[in-house]
Amino acid sequence: MAFQCSYYLEPLDTTNLPRRFLDAFAAILAHSNYGPVLDTVARISARCGRCAVTCPVYQASQDPRDIPCMRSELLLTIYRRYFTLAGALKARAGNAFTLTEAYINTLAEEVYRCTACRRCKLECPLGIDHGMITHLARWILAEVGIVPKALRVATREQLDGKTHNTSAIPAAAMQDTCEFLVEDCRDTYGMNISFPIDVEGAEYVFFPAVSDYLLEPDTLMGNAAVLTATGASWTIGSHYFDGINYGLFYSDRMLDRIVSKEAEEVRRLKAQKVLIGECGHASRSAKFFIKTFCGGRAAPEVVNIMEYTWHALRSGKLELRPNAIDARVTYHDPCNIARSGWIIDQPREILRAICADYVDMTPRGKENYCCGGGGGTVSIDEIREFRTKIGGATKAEQIRRTGATILVAPCANCKKQLREVCEDHGLDHVQVVGLHDLVLKAIIPPPHMRVEKPTDPEKDK
Amino acid sequence: MDAWIELARGPLFRLALTICVLFLALRLANAVYLLAAAWWRAGDRDLPWKSVAQATARWLFPYHLLTVRPLYSAASFLFHVGILLLPFFLAGHVALLQGILPTWWPTLAPILADTLTLLSAAAVMAVLLARATTASAQALSTVQDVAVLLLLLLVLGAGFFASHPATSPFDARAMLLVHILSGNLALLLTPFTKLVHCILVPLTQLASEVGWHFPAESGRHVAVVLNKENEPV
Repeated sequence: MAFQCSYYLEPLDTTNLPRRFLDAFAAILAHSNYGPVLDTVARISARCGRCAVTCPVYQASQDPRDIPCMRSELLLTIYRRYFTLAGALKARAGNAFTLTEAYINTLAEEVYRCTACRRCKLECPLGIDHGMITHLARWILAEVGIVPKALRVATREQLDGKTHNTSAIPAAAMQDTCEFLVEDCRDTYGMNISFPIDVEGAEYVFFPAVSDYLLEPDTLMGNAAVLTATGASWTIGSHYFDGINYGLFYSDRMLDRIVSKEAEEVRRLKAQKVLIGECGHASRSAKFFIKTFCGGRAAPEVVNIMEYTWHALRSGKLELRPNAIDARVTYHDPCNIARSGWIIDQPREILRAICADYVDMTPRGKENYCCGGGGGTVSIDEIREFRTKIGGATKAEQIRRTGATILVAPCANCKKQLREVCEDHGLDHVQVVGLHDLVLKAIIPPPHMRVEKPTDPEKDK
Repeated sequence: MDAWIELARGPLFRLALTICVLFLALRLANAVYLLAAAWWRAGDRDLPWKSVAQATARWLFPYHLLTVRPLYSAASFLFHVGILLLPFFLAGHVALLQGILPTWWPTLAPILADTLTLLSAAAVMAVLLARATTASAQALSTVQDVAVLLLLLLVLGAGFFASHPATSPFDARAMLLVHILSGNLALLLTPFTKLVHCILVPLTQLASEVGWHFPAESGRHVAVVLNKENEPV
């Protein structure tokens, strides 16, 4: 049987695949901290099925393969057989499980049906983190060459390519975009903003999801407007300016290399902190793994732009116009920043300060539902139908219930996914935007930022 | 029959208890050692102790349990309460332990013990029923999951009939023998089946957290072992 997945793969060498898979598994167990987790989980897993009730993918598909515990069992079966004494003894007794190419194919298919949102962990009485087991399985698969093409190609450009970012934007083009945004903000909003490039000694080096330079001008203008209004000491590094980190989705090795590039850029610019734009996975990978891979407590501090804006608002450094947004607004919690409880109330406080009609989804915060495109699946266009119709079904219903026409999703991946979810679920009236898109419309610029809006003769007519 | 009962509650019980306690202690020590070593290797040793403690406490005292699958959860909770209390607080069990341990704690009143036994047995049956009828639980269930529940049901049922000879449809002495033998088997199996969670549960939330705290060199070391240091992405 040829190796086949519902997502595109680059040409795969299947020679001795089971052997190579086990070698990779053994190497990872020897040098990571997954061993104690698997040792515990393999012994205690009660298979009670509580995780099934909380998983939005299973709730929509009702397919047993999507039960988080069932998916984890695929890897645990290999672990028990090949990496435990009991497994070795059972094998001696005969009739033991044998790892085959077909089994690896099944695993490769199943782990990319999981959005790694980790909602199931909240309801597991034993605290089993199925998202982590998915994460580990994907790393092992990656070491034998099984990675969705979309993720691998983007990471290749980021780490080995000429542009060092996932959207292949040359530094000069990024700078042109920034100049264009400065003009656009002046013309449209009557505000002078700036995008300082390569300023040495700044407090923050800014890493948005690089796709924002192509797709989210309002988010970037909003980010820059807040930073300019508050007199922040910040810069964008021309050597490395991408916050995206697909390593979080498929390989700790890549995760390490990507966060190391961020830390290196901060060092090059003699800056102090990493400032991540509106992106859930970019924020989580920097916040939790720069410390891991780049010097522990000595590593640069990581701040998300929403935290920055919230602090500025609270301290009075940033003035926002109350009720600047009339339409009904709701907020989607990106799993990577909300599940741990890191960023939940800060954006809501900002939104309540500027929206006349803000409503929350239920459930929200730590217990939020994933957009359906988590775990890197949003980048895999060939599984769109699964992502939106199955993965995003619960979220679509949540959005519908709020009656909102503006959905704030402070994450590049969530935004793409939610636009597609809205499109595929008859929610075309819902506009999906970033938090700073709205902040941009509500900001009261300090005197040094104000400019006269040029007259638009066409508009005047 | 009496000789068999004496054998079962004498040497066999002591052997089962010794193996159970010894291996549970080993499992616990092993888990603590592995987690401590993992934490020591981590590139970032700052663990969110507070949230780990909160999550652990949340499930040790699961007041919120009924928010998801209420009937299954209630049955499961009740069954755990019975399984935890009955072995230690039933008067007959305390008497059995007297020769082995100092037994200073109070025992359950007979009416309370009977009620708890019947409720626990009903809860086990409800959990079994749920496993058989809920699609997700049915899909997940293995032979071990069902066998463990049936064994515990046997322990509870035989124990109840053994202590109520007047109303029991079975021979009370035979029931006592079945109760002790099945109880001994449950003790023996505890460290080697998923029942081991009785000792590991305080560490499981921590294990999930430690797993995310990677060693700083993990990726690079894996690359070296797999000879991929200079391999392009």
